[in-house]
Amino acid sequence: MATWIFYILGAVAVVATAMAVTRRNPVHSVIYLVNSFFALAMIFYLLGAPLVAAWEVIIYAGAIMVLFLFIIMMLELSPGEEADRQGPGALQWLPVLLLGAALLTCTLLLLQLDPAAGQAVPNWYASPRDFGYVLFHEYALAVEIVSFQLLFAAVGAFYVGRAASREKQPGGQQ
Amino acid sequence: MPEWLIIGLLIVAKLGLIFMVLLTLAAYLVLAERKILGRMQLRPGPNRVGPFGLMQPLADVIKLLTKEDFIPARADKWLFILAPGLAAVTALLTFAVVPFGPPLTLFGHQVPLVVCDLNIGVLFFLGLSSLAVYGMTLGGWASNSKYSLMGAIRGLSQLISYELSMGLALVPVVMLARSFSLTDIVMAQADVPFALVNPLAFLIFLISAVAESKRIPFDLPEAENELVGGFHTEYSGMRFGLFFVGEYINLIILGSMLTVFFLGGWMGPFLPGVVWFSIKVLFVCFFFIWVRGTMPRLRYDQLMHFGWKILLPLSLLNVLLTGALLLWRQG
Amino acid sequence: MISVYHYLILSAIIFSIGTFGVLTRKNAIVIFMCIELMLNSVNLTFIALSRHLQNMDGQIFVFFVMAVAAAEAAVGLALMIAFYRNRESIDTDDFNMLKW
Repeated sequence: MATWIFYILGAVAVVATAMAVTRRNPVHSVIYLVNSFFALAMIFYLLGAPLVAAWEVIIYAGAIMVLFLFIIMMLELSPGEEADRQGPGALQWLPVLLLGAALLTCTLLLLQLDPAAGQAVPNWYASPRDFGYVLFHEYALAVEIVSFQLLFAAVGAFYVGRAASREKQPGGQQ
Repeated sequence: MPEWLIIGLLIVAKLGLIFMVLLTLAAYLVLAERKILGRMQLRPGPNRVGPFGLMQPLADVIKLLTKEDFIPARADKWLFILAPGLAAVTALLTFAVVPFGPPLTLFGHQVPLVVCDLNIGVLFFLGLSSLAVYGMTLGGWASNSKYSLMGAIRGLSQLISYELSMGLALVPVVMLARSFSLTDIVMAQADVPFALVNPLAFLIFLISAVAESKRIPFDLPEAENELVGGFHTEYSGMRFGLFFVGEYINLIILGSMLTVFFLGGWMGPFLPGVVWFSIKVLFVCFFFIWVRGTMPRLRYDQLMHFGWKILLPLSLLNVLLTGALLLWRQG
Repeated sequence: MISVYHYLILSAIIFSIGTFGVLTRKNAIVIFMCIELMLNSVNLTFIALSRHLQNMDGQIFVFFVMAVAAAEAAVGLALMIAFYRNRESIDTDDFNMLKW
């Protein structure tokens, strides 16, 4: 049962990801990407990490992607705008495709070398309580650092947005 | 009958029951809102269809179903069709984790009165409420109309701003109950509801809930006199109906969340649990309607300043204070 | 039967698609989304190995990756708005101000 669910979710994730990368319209990209994140979140749930699965939905699908959507809508990046400028042609895609394929094959070959890789994954369930215990006992300092980083990011984002709006005003009068 | 069949049947039965009750309740909430608002404005409200206008929801549904289904030219057709469904489904799904009564004993089985008691129920609710943004935003964007786009952008920024303080107002609740499961949270309020233990969190959650439901005084995404209809300007017929129903289901959901997190869920003397739960939810819904009848609309900058400069710092402070108090009490 | 192998392959495929997107797309926002995608495939690896090794540390790292991704999205999108104000475009071909 779990095997089938994994295959279905994996297929959904791969197809949605491929669609997200190839769509011309950025809003469609966002929607496919949210789909892919959903599939990944469910795979996380299958892997016995319900807390991380919930965050995947709340943070990635619910916050980061919404932010992207907001920016796309605010800048009014209509699909026609990007269509005017054609992306690189098929010839220029080829090296990239080859690079990606090489990356993939190398990963697969490396995985084959590991003798333990073929074993079925053991059962394991990370309850929110255990997770919180480990997070705030062993990684307390890292949590502090990350929270500072979030604060810096907020201040930085605010500053970048503000400075640009000030610069624009004299430009608009000319 | 094998064990799994009974469990499966019970889940289907619960799902069907909740689905029916929610949709009927949403339809009659619309009527109740119109009636109550009418009384507040010294007019009778709808009273032509059936006794006391009780058949009005049915008439509304027939009207919506028979209206012309209109898709604007140059609209993004698939997203335009998908968006209202998204809005309604995200609202409906949230009810899966709401416990609406104490566990029942049926055919010798313990039946918890909740579709599935997730141990991350609080996060499930927050996740779905953050996804609720998509239905509105994509609907507004796909309509290819400036009013819709303005409404969608406003709604998006409003919802992500108030979701933050909403989530942070829930942190003290989780700290007090020591669990993410909604059933455990209700159990923890057997003596005193959390609204009395932590009134600040209750107030922040209440305000954020009103903002999340996009109602007056926070109804900027659909402010009629600025944006025609806001994000659903271009919608007609049953698609508009889905947005509308989704909004009222969302109201019921927020009411039941408020009940579960702060008003003690099904706990109460004398009456059975389900009755207490319904009374509390309906009272919260009445409160929302009452607010709509009394408050003026905020300006957009006031809305943002209130969310980011007042509610968010207050809720952070509240988390800190609650944590410190809990530690101090533990010694 | 699913082994950790399956999860790692899935992660590698998603990572490769993300790399492909970063290298071929011209819209800066889409490139940015592809980077988020690659971070996500790494998250999948962390979780799969966390289960394989019966150890919580992998999940903790996913938590940090998510925090970093959120910070990165905030700053990156602010930069993009600032750029759009100057150039009225977010096409990577227009990111050429150092060429003056």
